[in-house]
Amino acid sequence: MPRAPLPEFSSSLRLKYVKLGYQHLVDNFVTFLSIPVMVAVGLELVRRGPQEIVGLWRALELDVIHILCSVFVIVFVATVYFMSRPRPVYLVEYACFKPPSNCRVPFSTFMEHTRLINSDEKSVQFQMRILERSGLGEETCLPPANHYIPPHPTMEASRAEAQLVIFSAIDDLIRKTGLKPKDIDILVVNCSLFSPTPSLSAMIINKYKLRSNIRSFNLSGMGCSAGLISIDLARDLLQVHPGSNALVISTEIITPNFYAGNQRAMLLPNCLFRMGAAAILLSNRRRDAGRAKYRLVHVVRTHKGADDRAYRCVYEEEDAEGHTGISLSKDLMAIAGEALKSNITTIGPLVLPMSEQLLFFLTLVARKLINPKRKPYIPDFKKAFEHFCIHAGGRAVIDELQKNLELSAEHVEASRMTLHRFGNTSSSSLWYELNYIESKGRMRRGDRVWQIGFGSGFKCNSAVWKCMRTVKTPIDGPWSECIHRYPVHIPEVVKL
Amino acid sequence: MDLLWTISTTLLLCSLLSILWKEFDRRRNRSCYLLDFVCYKPSDDRKLSSELCSDIIVRNKRLSVPDYKFLLKVVVNSGISEETYGPRSIIEGREECPTHDDCVDEVDDCMYRTLDELFLRTGISPIDVDVLVVNVSMFAPSPSLTSRIVNRYRMREDVKNFSLVGMGCSASPIAIDLVNNIFETRKRTLAVVVTSESIAPNWYCGTDKSMMLGNCLFRSGGCSFMLTNDPSLKHRAKMNLKCLVRAHIGANDDAYGCAIQKEDDEGRVGFHLSKSLPKAAVRAFAENLQRLAPKVLPMGELALYVLRGFRHRLWRSKEAKTDAATAARVNFKSGVDHFCLHTGGAAVIDAVGRALGLTNYDMEPARMTLHRWGNTSASSLWYVLGYMEAKKRLRRKDRVLMLSFGAGFKCNSCLWEVLRDLNDGGAWDDCIRAYPPQTLDNPFIEKFGWVKEA
Repeated sequence: MPRAPLPEFSSSLRLKYVKLGYQHLVDNFVTFLSIPVMVAVGLELVRRGPQEIVGLWRALELDVIHILCSVFVIVFVATVYFMSRPRPVYLVEYACFKPPSNCRVPFSTFMEHTRLINSDEKSVQFQMRILERSGLGEETCLPPANHYIPPHPTMEASRAEAQLVIFSAIDDLIRKTGLKPKDIDILVVNCSLFSPTPSLSAMIINKYKLRSNIRSFNLSGMGCSAGLISIDLARDLLQVHPGSNALVISTEIITPNFYAGNQRAMLLPNCLFRMGAAAILLSNRRRDAGRAKYRLVHVVRTHKGADDRAYRCVYEEEDAEGHTGISLSKDLMAIAGEALKSNITTIGPLVLPMSEQLLFFLTLVARKLINPKRKPYIPDFKKAFEHFCIHAGGRAVIDELQKNLELSAEHVEASRMTLHRFGNTSSSSLWYELNYIESKGRMRRGDRVWQIGFGSGFKCNSAVWKCMRTVKTPIDGPWSECIHRYPVHIPEVVKL
Repeated sequence: MDLLWTISTTLLLCSLLSILWKEFDRRRNRSCYLLDFVCYKPSDDRKLSSELCSDIIVRNKRLSVPDYKFLLKVVVNSGISEETYGPRSIIEGREECPTHDDCVDEVDDCMYRTLDELFLRTGISPIDVDVLVVNVSMFAPSPSLTSRIVNRYRMREDVKNFSLVGMGCSASPIAIDLVNNIFETRKRTLAVVVTSESIAPNWYCGTDKSMMLGNCLFRSGGCSFMLTNDPSLKHRAKMNLKCLVRAHIGANDDAYGCAIQKEDDEGRVGFHLSKSLPKAAVRAFAENLQRLAPKVLPMGELALYVLRGFRHRLWRSKEAKTDAATAARVNFKSGVDHFCLHTGGAAVIDAVGRALGLTNYDMEPARMTLHRWGNTSASSLWYVLGYMEAKKRLRRKDRVLMLSFGAGFKCNSCLWEVLRDLNDGGAWDDCIRAYPPQTLDNPFIEKFGWVKEA
């Protein structure tokens, strides 16, 4: 491949400083405006001298009562203002399920099982090629029922998996926070592909003996972005009920969803989906503000279902032989990119600094009025966020987003490493990624995190969190035993 | 000086006014108006007569003759008429192996027909919908049922959709609770809720008696309704939500396990209804009523209830009184005019009616709904409401109590106030004149009379 010519350093450097200057100017516009005013007032005060100022004060003829009243009014107005603001929603703590090592599915195990279960050689080869390029590692886990040859997907086994992953995560959370089960006011559970009656939320209420007036909701079928839908729902509920906390459980139960056919588009989930769960404790109590890790700033949901192509790209159906599976269309990456663009259009104005928004607006105007061929300006989201948690849906999704948002390798490291260590754990993957960033000691007070989830429908949901205190490296948790080995280099193709 | 005074007073007044305005606005937003509701009426080729039920039961070759007798007895004595509806796949003989398309078509037909009519009647376009909730307890495809609706009606990108699954027969009040909470955070919001049940994928083909009851009693049905908190639509609304109470006694193991989906001994999945179900229902019911009573009853009745409680404690009556019986001595009819009871079965309606001290007139809508539509799970409350409306019972300022039970075990209730005289026939339009019929007995009682002796 011919080497690209060396870039023009001098002109690009100049441009870089111009851009920096512009950003500082626009972002701190108000400060820049107020400096001359303050300087003028200060000069005036100095010019007049202290005697004159005291004289002016005396001339006002204020007495104690007037001063007290004014102070009272100011304090009153300030209180009214602060109390009328929407209640902040804090993330007190969260816990992720740590899969036991006896559930591990290294490549050799996966391929051996596939060869024994699947008689069609083409399907076996296809799955091998997918696995080679998947970005998954050797330590991802499947539930016990999937280790049988052929897999044994009974309802009892599905419930057992649900109990294993969910109860472990909740036990962990209780241990870390000292949460009393009777104290939980709101419970939201999302699990896309397993929905027994009574629901998983009822299962949790039964196990932990939660209160009878709990507000519980069980969301299902909503795909890999359902974790953020649950957070959105919990947030709405917390806005309405003061002094409450909410337990949100995000998981995906793999047992009942093994695809036993040979349709290629439907074999992909077998290769990528793995066991995982996360339990998140949200609160709007003021006393939790001190110990909370994050504060929820925004949640933006985008649903592209109105477009038929987007709607059909992740679709559950039956193949010709009657096996049910989830078919992933070839357009998935393009559709994910479009859904992300829609989501960005809404979230951009909420999070981007003024300088980026102005540039985007000016470029848009230029494109519309002057030159339609001009490249659209992609706002620099690195200015708005320190950390990115992109749903570990697959290597291609992470690549696509890295390209679209112009992110560096370090920004997407959490997503890639989560995909490597845990596979695609669906809605809980965002929490494993956040845990990775914390385990690496990178989470500082004031850092902003952007979680992006994609899911069937086609949905793109984002959540923005602000870190409230520097997070100490966790001593336990899913990454504790292996974090020292990460990051690893993940080759394009792992030859099997 | 005066200037300072003027400024201070103005600021103070403004703050006070803003507090008052915020409070007033919040209370305005708190309203949850029911604009309209449409109950699902499947096509006539899906009617399940007793004869057809008997044929379907007999198709299961694993059952023995005593099992057939037991099932026929349940069907004949259930209080369900010849006019109820079943899924096409079961009628056409595919009950043991329904395809994914069968299941999806069953739910699609219900959702789309009712939504088409709902949008037509309200004159509101799907693009204006802000919140969409679907609850179908036993079927959750990918993409979710809400996504199917968003796709078909080309709804907006920022529509808040929620797919509630596994929440049982009392999921309607849960969906209303969800929408109500969202209403309190946003102004001028429009919500559409679709509630239905999926029978095709859940047909039980084994021999466990506790799981066969579901086959006999559940029928196809559904409802779509539209809610809003926009005060400008109040004049078009039918009812206004006054309060909602949810009680969940899943903490008790017996209650949790009394209605549960699981595999039988041979590995076939079915919906198990245990013998401890009535007991769990009573407990959940009592729990719900305890919290509902103060919100629903007028002061006089509450005072009487407290006095009776004191008297009971002071005088210490010899018979032990359970909570439900104490509740029976509270006259709910003083605060509620109409009762929408979940049509779980004839026994359930009778038991709840007795506990609340209801007359035959009060229980008639629920009994007639069970007769005409069967147990349509979460949407049954809406058919009962439809009966009351078709019979022109709902007058302005009347209060309607919806009460339902569900797996978990839950008892949920909500109280509505009727905003104007209601006259729509709805799904009952073509048959309301025939109700109440002379007898609720099965017309084939002679033909299947031998089951009475079994």
